[in-house]
Amino acid sequence: MNRNALRVESETVDSRALHGDKETHCFIVYVGGEAFGLAVDCVQTIFQIEAVTPVPLGPQEIVGLVNLRGKIVTAVSLRRRLQMPDAQPAKSALAIGMEYRGENFALIVDEVGDVIFLNPQTQIALPPHLDQHRAKLTEAVYRLDQGILSMLNVGCLFDFQRRV
Amino acid sequence: MDELLNDFLAETSEHIDAAGEQLVLFERDPSNGGAIGKIFRLFHTIKGTCGFLGLTRLEQLTHVTESLIGRLRDGAPATPETVSLILTTVDRVKFILAWLANTASEPEGDDNALIEALQANLNSSASPPAEATEEVPAPTAPAASAETAPLAETATGSGSVEIAASPMRSTATRTASNRAETIRVTVGALERIMILVSELVLTRNQLLEITRHHEDATVKAPLQRLSSLTTDLQDAVMRARMQPLGRLFASLPRLVRELAVDLKKKLYLVTEGADTELDRQLVELIRDPLTHLLRNCADHGIESPDKRLALGKPEEGTIKVNATHEAGYITIDVSDDGRGLDLERIRYKAQAKGLVNAAEAKNLSDDEIGRFIFAPGFSTSPSVTSISGRGIGMDIVRDNIESIGGSISVTTTAGKGTRFSLKIPLTLAIAPALILEVRGHHFALPQHSVIEAVRIDSDSGHSLERVQGSLVLRLRDEVLPVADLEQVLDLEAKGVDNGALVIVMRVSSRVFGIIVDAVTDVQEIVVKPLSASLAHLEVFSGHTILGDGSVVLILDPTGIAGRIGFERASDYTVGRTVETYVPAEENTRFILFRAGPGALKALPLSLVARIECVPASEIRQSDGNFVMQHHQQIMPLVPLIPADQALSEDDNPVLVLGIGGESMGLLIEEIVDVVEARLDVQIAGVSSSVIGTAEIRGAVVEILDATHFMRIGRPNAYSRGFANQFWILLVDDKPFFRDMLAPLLIAAGYRVTTAGSGEDALALFDRGAHFDAVVTDTDMPNMSGYALAHQLHSDSRRASLPVIALAAHAAPSVVQAAAESGMCGAVGKFDRPALLEMLSRILESHHLNKHDLESSIIGAAA
Repeated sequence: MNRNALRVESETVDSRALHGDKETHCFIVYVGGEAFGLAVDCVQTIFQIEAVTPVPLGPQEIVGLVNLRGKIVTAVSLRRRLQMPDAQPAKSALAIGMEYRGENFALIVDEVGDVIFLNPQTQIALPPHLDQHRAKLTEAVYRLDQGILSMLNVGCLFDFQRRV
Repeated sequence: MDELLNDFLAETSEHIDAAGEQLVLFERDPSNGGAIGKIFRLFHTIKGTCGFLGLTRLEQLTHVTESLIGRLRDGAPATPETVSLILTTVDRVKFILAWLANTASEPEGDDNALIEALQANLNSSASPPAEATEEVPAPTAPAASAETAPLAETATGSGSVEIAASPMRSTATRTASNRAETIRVTVGALERIMILVSELVLTRNQLLEITRHHEDATVKAPLQRLSSLTTDLQDAVMRARMQPLGRLFASLPRLVRELAVDLKKKLYLVTEGADTELDRQLVELIRDPLTHLLRNCADHGIESPDKRLALGKPEEGTIKVNATHEAGYITIDVSDDGRGLDLERIRYKAQAKGLVNAAEAKNLSDDEIGRFIFAPGFSTSPSVTSISGRGIGMDIVRDNIESIGGSISVTTTAGKGTRFSLKIPLTLAIAPALILEVRGHHFALPQHSVIEAVRIDSDSGHSLERVQGSLVLRLRDEVLPVADLEQVLDLEAKGVDNGALVIVMRVSSRVFGIIVDAVTDVQEIVVKPLSASLAHLEVFSGHTILGDGSVVLILDPTGIAGRIGFERASDYTVGRTVETYVPAEENTRFILFRAGPGALKALPLSLVARIECVPASEIRQSDGNFVMQHHQQIMPLVPLIPADQALSEDDNPVLVLGIGGESMGLLIEEIVDVVEARLDVQIAGVSSSVIGTAEIRGAVVEILDATHFMRIGRPNAYSRGFANQFWILLVDDKPFFRDMLAPLLIAAGYRVTTAGSGEDALALFDRGAHFDAVVTDTDMPNMSGYALAHQLHSDSRRASLPVIALAAHAAPSVVQAAAESGMCGAVGKFDRPALLEMLSRILESHHLNKHDLESSIIGAAA
C-alpha cells in the first residue's frame, strides 16, 4: 500500500495497528452523509478532479475519464454506484485514486475521513433486510462506537453491469 | 545460453532466410554469380562457426551442402532437383537452429539420408574437379567485393528485379570493423523507448498549449527548441523501429517457387521497393495478408501454361509485388498478368448471396463489383484447392489490413490481370486524427477511414434529405446513409448546435457519413486502449490525451457503422430470434440424375455414399422388393424408374445411401451431372418423396427427400441413425466463432440457433425454446459460460440439459472449471472433431436414457 499518499490521515494511526496482526485498517469516505470504509491497500492517492470527459453509452456510474498526471483514469461516482441521487449542486469533485485489476479508477466521494482500525471482533452480520444492490457492494459491517460502518467491496465496486 | 552460441544463432537465423531466396534467384538466372556466391559464403560461415562451437551435426550437413553449392558456383548446371535438395537442406538447417535456440544443444538424430542425397547429387554433377571445393578458405576476396557494392550487385544481376537488396542482408560477410557499427537491441527496449517518446510528445503538446495562453518570452525560445527536438527524437525512434520490407519479401521467391511446383504453372516473381521501410510491428502483421494475396494470384489469377500460350500470353505468368512510400503511408501493390476477376460471376454471386438486389447489381461499377470479393465467405472459385482454399480468405485479408488502419482495394481488367493495392500506415503507435466537436463534446477520429468532410448549408449545395425518416446525404451522384453522431452516442447537449458538417467515412466496402458540429483540430494522437470496464463500447477504439491535457475518446468507424445498423450484410445472427438457423451462403453439391418421367431429380451429394453400376443379373426381387447383393450382404434397392421399364443388361446406376451404418440403394436411369448450387426450393413438394422443386443452373429439378427412401429401404436404421435431428444452441460473444462453428454443426446434421451472450441464451429458454444441448464459450463479458451453465441447471426443467464449454484450448483448468459448473465437458474452439465427437456422444447417451425423447424425434421426423 501507499502510505505516503495517506500521510495526512495517518496521524490517527497508532503503532498497534501498524504492526496489527488481524486488524484491518480502513479509510473512511462520506457520501450522502453516510460513512463507508475502503480497504487502505487499494487507495493510492486523493485528488481533486478538474476536467472530466464523459463516456457516452458507458455505464451510468462512470462519470467519465480523467487525466491524472498524464494517466487516464476512469472516474466512478460512489453516489451513483450506491444508487444515491447526485449531489446538488455538485460539490467539488474529490476523488480517491485506486487501482483494481490493473485498471486505474478515481472514486468520487463527498468527503474523506480518517484511517481507522477495525477490530475483527466488532464485525457484525450483514443486516438481512439490506437493499440487495447495496448488500452486493458491502464486504463487511462493523459496529463502532460512533456508529455502524460498512466496508465496501472494491472488486464489486468496479465491476459494472455492462449495458449497451 | 553461451554468448557465442547466441551471437551465432542471431546472425545465422537472419541470413538463412535469405539463402532460400538467393537460391531461387540463381535457379532462374544461372549467370547471377552474386546470388550463388552469397549462399556459398553463408554455408561456409555456418560450417566454420559450427566447427568452432562443436556443433557436429550442423557441421556435417553444411559441409556437404557447401561442396554442392561450390559446384554450382563453379558453373555446374542448377537442376531443379539440386535446388530442391538445397532448399530442403536450408529447411533442415533452420530446424536445427530453432532447436539450438530452445535447448542450446543440437537435436537428436542424424541427417544421413539428406547427406547421402546431397553426396549423390554432388557425385552426379560431373563438373569441375574436386579441388575446386577444397579451396574453401579463399572466398575472402569475393566477399570483400560483395560487401562494397551489395546494391550494385543485384542491380546488375537482374535488371529491375531487386529482391531484398537491403544492405543488411550482406552482413554475413562483414568484417569485424564493420560489425562494430551495429549493436543488437532487444525489441522490448525499443518498445519502451517508443512509449517514452509517445509520452514525451504528449507532454510537449501540453506545454505548447499552456504557453499559447501565457505568453512568456523567456520560455518561448527554449520551448521551441524542445518542441523541434522532440519531433526529431520521435522521428529517430520511429526510424530505429523501421525495417525494410525486403525482410518480408525475402520469403516470397521461395513461396512462389513452391506454388509453381504445386500448381504446375510457370510463375515469375518481380519485387520492387524492398528497401521501403515500415514499422517492424507492421512488417509482421502484413506477412499473412501478403502471402495470401500471392497464393491467390498464383492459384486463381494466373492461367495454366497451355491456356496462356493459347491466349497469346507468355507461358510464364508474372506476379509483381511493388512497395512505395507516400505521405505517411506505404502502398504495396500485388499484381498479376492473369485472367482478371470474373466480374460477371461475382455480380451473379453477390446477387445470389443477397448482398445486392438485381437492380443494384446492374448499376454497380466494375470496381464496386470487385470489392465484393472482400465480403465474408465470398469465393467464386468453383474448385477447391489446397493452395488458396475457398470461401475464406479475402475477407480475412481485408480484416487484417483494416485492423492496422490500412485499406485494400482491387482493380482488374478481364484477360489482363488483377491488382491488389494495400495501403498501410507507417506506424501504429501515433496516428493522425481529426478532433470532432459534437454538442460541446470532443472526439478523435482516426484520419485513415475519413474520405472527406462536407459542409451542409445552402451555399455548399449539399443538403441532407430524409428517406422515410432516415437521413441521407446527396453527394455528387451518390446517396449516402448519414447518422447524427449526437444521436448515435446519445449525447447530452452541452453546447449549441452551430451547423452541420458531415464526415464521410468508409468501412470495408460501405461509405457512410456522420453529422458533427465542427472539426476543431487535426492532431497526432497516441492511441491507448480503453480500460476493461469500457472496452465493451464498440463505438470507441481507445482514448488519448490531447495537447491541452484533456482526455478524448477515439471513435471506431467500424463500431459506429455497427451501431447505426450498417452491419455487414452477411451478419445473419443480427436478429437472434428463435428460428432454425439457415446458413445463408452455403452451397450444396448436388447430384443430378434422370429417373422416371418429368424433371431431372437431384439429391445432395453428401447423402450419397457412392455410385455403383450394377448388372441386371445382380438385381433380384425378393418378397416383392428389389434387392441387390452387395459385399456378401443383401442391400435393399428402391427403384426410381417406372416399374415397366426393363433393366439394362449390365449397367444400371445405383446411388448408395448410407444410414446408421447400413446402406441402401436407389435404382436410377442415368446420372447427368454433379453441380454446386445454392439450395433454393421454390415450390414445396406434394408427394412425400420430393422436398420440392428448385432451379439449379437454369434447369428445373426435383429435390428428392432421401429420408423418404431411407424409411422404405431401412426403416430401423432410419429411426436409429438419421433421424437424430438435435437442436443445438451455440453461445459465443464473438460473431467470428458463431459464424465458424454454426455451419460446422449444421453440416454435421444438427439444427443450430446462435446467441451472442449468456443473457440472450437464457432469454431464448425463457421464451420457451427447446434445445437438446448448449455449446457455450466460457469467456464472455457479463455472464461467463460457467455462470450460464449454473443458471440453466438451476431450473429443474433443464437440470439435465447437456452444456459443453468452448474455450480457446481445452486446458486442464478449463476442463476442471467446466466439470465444477456441471458441464459435460470442454473442447477447444478450433478442435472440430472433438466438438462433434463430444456432442454425438453426449446426445446419444442422453437420448438412450430418454425413450420419450426418441419417440418424439421419430415423430418429429416422420
